[in-house]
Amino acid sequence: MRAYLAFTKKEFTENLRTYKLMIMTVVFLIFGVMSPLFAKFTPEILKAAGVDASALGMGTPTAMDSFAQFFKNVGQLGLVVLVIVFCGTMANEFSKGTLINILTKGMKRSTVILSKFTMATVIWTVSYLLCLAVTYAYTAYYFGIGNISNAFLTFFSMWLFGVLLVALVILGGVLFKNIYGSLLLTGGIVIVMMIVNVFPKLQKYNPITLSGDNMQLITAQKAASDFIPAVIVCAVLTVVSVIASIMVFNKKQI
Amino acid sequence: MDILAIENLSKSFGNNKVIDGLSFAVPEHSVFGFIGQNGAGKTTTMKMILGLLKADGGKAVVCGEIVSFGQNKTNEYIGYLPDVPEFYPYMRPKEYLKLCGDITGMPAGKVKKRSEELLALVGLGGVNKRIGSFSRGMKQRLGIAQALLNEPKLLICDEPTSALDPIGRKEILDILLAVKGKTTVVFSTHILADVERICDHVAVLNNGRLALCGTLSELKAQHKADSLLIEFATNTDKDKFIALSDMMNFEQTETSVNIHTENIAETQTAVLELLAKEKLLPQKLEVAEPTIESLFMGVMQ
Repeated sequence: MRAYLAFTKKEFTENLRTYKLMIMTVVFLIFGVMSPLFAKFTPEILKAAGVDASALGMGTPTAMDSFAQFFKNVGQLGLVVLVIVFCGTMANEFSKGTLINILTKGMKRSTVILSKFTMATVIWTVSYLLCLAVTYAYTAYYFGIGNISNAFLTFFSMWLFGVLLVALVILGGVLFKNIYGSLLLTGGIVIVMMIVNVFPKLQKYNPITLSGDNMQLITAQKAASDFIPAVIVCAVLTVVSVIASIMVFNKKQI
Repeated sequence: MDILAIENLSKSFGNNKVIDGLSFAVPEHSVFGFIGQNGAGKTTTMKMILGLLKADGGKAVVCGEIVSFGQNKTNEYIGYLPDVPEFYPYMRPKEYLKLCGDITGMPAGKVKKRSEELLALVGLGGVNKRIGSFSRGMKQRLGIAQALLNEPKLLICDEPTSALDPIGRKEILDILLAVKGKTTVVFSTHILADVERICDHVAVLNNGRLALCGTLSELKAQHKADSLLIEFATNTDKDKFIALSDMMNFEQTETSVNIHTENIAETQTAVLELLAKEKLLPQKLEVAEPTIESLFMGVMQ
């Protein structure tokens, strides 16, 4: 336990001093501010460009437009930033040889994985909550929140999908010992999930809906029960990835 | 008691057999020199002892416990200094030692005290900059400090001196000598002078097999030189000596003769008699001691 806390603290120091923590919080804060602003000012920007917004089917912007921006920003660019920031977490330790001193001190290999997963998840959670809080506050200020359905489940789903990506990035790093392996495995699995999404029957179980169909949930086009199977699959996949990382790492020659 | 025992260890990378049935034991409180050319398999052997690499066959036993690959239990007895120690560049030396102490489960007060002692020992006492800006020599010193932190019973150093300048080398060797009483030291090297300076036991690795193993004095006695060196004051004296003697196997320089012989005592008597008879007074007469270098060269051939 003490080794776990010590190594998790080391992870924190690393993320702080190599500016990863700063990049994550700043990027997500920007998304948090931008989403409602963009929703608010899109009609005016279009007007300035000489386009009639109502002719495009866009009426007066509402809270839903703001949240739509939020899910678009976080669910696409935000997740890409998350993956890029953490893709080196295992790979760098392998390529620089920094783990040798640590492992030859008798620390369990599983502790390395668990500490890294914990700290990356904590940073993702903090960044995401910051982003959400800012968006929520601005949205309430500009539009009023109004009627939103399944708020918790919607925002939770996006977070959970991020956690899965963190677990995949670590698994990729352990498997291939380099950044490209980490990115390829994560990207590959996301692409597989996109392909699976072509089959309507499987959509319900596909974790990718957690970061893509949030608006349908929030506007009550989908029921909570449509989301739960994907949530469960996502959680199981995350746990499996972490366990697989530990098992592979235990067999890895360093 | 043997602190480390290796039995029939083998390891291949692909078709390349790096270690082939290696066996040796390291007694407690010795300084054990592990010698071999570059690529002889020294690092590979050490990494198998540390459970970082999987052995194809055989076993390593540390303090009576068998090393199992991937599990780092036996590493609690070991301090390891890699050939190029790598640290987290954003940390300061004390922070790094604190991390090391915490993961080995040392009490916090002890970590602090030990860190200060060790940093002073390796000459990094007042240094508080980030490790990223350290020179190679400073990293090597910090490497020793981290390896000694948990008072290991066995200290394994992988070529600790090979990349250092002469002063840095001497200092590192002095540190290793200083810890000799408290811990057993195994260190690999290809610098033979270092071995002669601090080791009492030696193993020579060649083509993945053990070519020589024993205490330094034992080995020297076994490979006792069979040569007699006579040095004269002048070239004329030397030539006169050679002309009068009936020896067959010798080599000469400007003023000295080195005689190789089967029976050193007999040759020595004959030479002394001849010298006395001819009133040739040598400046130096010496039975050549084998050096670790001559031993090493002997096995490599």
